[in-house]
Amino acid sequence: MGVIKKLPVYLEKFPGGGIATTSLNYVLSQSQASSLWYLLFGTACCAIELMATGASRYDFDRFGMIFRASPRQSDLIIAAGTITKKMAPRLRLLYDQMAEPRYVIAMGGCTVHGGPFYYDSYAVEKGIDHIVPVDVYIPGCPPRPESLLEGCLTLQNKIKKLKVQDWS
Amino acid sequence: MNRDELTKYILEKYAGKIELLETGKYEPVFLIKREDLLEFCKSINSDETLQIDFLNNIAAVDTGEKFEVVYSVSSVKKRISFDFKAVMPYEGAEVDSIQEIWAGANWHEREVWELYGINIRNHGNLTRFLLPDDWNQGFPMRKNWDAPDFKRMPEL
Repeated sequence: MGVIKKLPVYLEKFPGGGIATTSLNYVLSQSQASSLWYLLFGTACCAIELMATGASRYDFDRFGMIFRASPRQSDLIIAAGTITKKMAPRLRLLYDQMAEPRYVIAMGGCTVHGGPFYYDSYAVEKGIDHIVPVDVYIPGCPPRPESLLEGCLTLQNKIKKLKVQDWS
Repeated sequence: MNRDELTKYILEKYAGKIELLETGKYEPVFLIKREDLLEFCKSINSDETLQIDFLNNIAAVDTGEKFEVVYSVSSVKKRISFDFKAVMPYEGAEVDSIQEIWAGANWHEREVWELYGINIRNHGNLTRFLLPDDWNQGFPMRKNWDAPDFKRMPEL
């Protein structure tokens, strides 16, 4: 990471280096956005929609999104389903195990703000942004596959705007 | 043995200790004193006519004034089932463990203790069950329970 981050700084000192930096930005962000592997993290009924999106009719794979069963191989958590207070530390643990750069999509009302469990519930975390930073929120109970696809495209656009210098 | 015969049999055999609360649409519900609970369970388990060999469920209810612990039992052999419940005040809410009759009661009783704070006498393993291990906010299913991030449904 250290070398890649400093590469644009060195490059810009050479004549025509600015073009190379822009191209490097383009290549890196484009390849990152086109291959978002997501962690299998379905805790409730939203996972059914997630599965439907991954299946052939909606075909997640055409965006380069493949599910991984290990946080160490994934770039993205799609938190699909209710996160209870007991599950919250586990979500944080999985997030911490992922390699950077990492992204989080909060799918469904429960993960956005508690959803139908906002009132009268002692067990449900009121929004997973209390636990992990969230990039894209997808409301719905559950959201249709089209919503999920839209959310993923939004995340891809967000990644494509990133510059190498912004990486942390 | 149909529902009416079952109700009649139990009311006659345990007269004075038990009373009928409702016949319900499917199963009769009896009210029992909590002191008689363990003895009653042993008795219906060993009774030749009833042969209650299976504990379906233990539930607790907070009515706002008192606690109820509801036991739902059935007999696989005789194809009968009924409920009985023990009612107790908030202070000193406690029932006997019935694990020695139906071992499956263990987890049900832990749940009752954890969510309602009804103490189970002679349970042996009253530890955290469904709530997080570091839970320290009391008994969440009680009517008067409250927590900083707990919101009640507003009146519509």
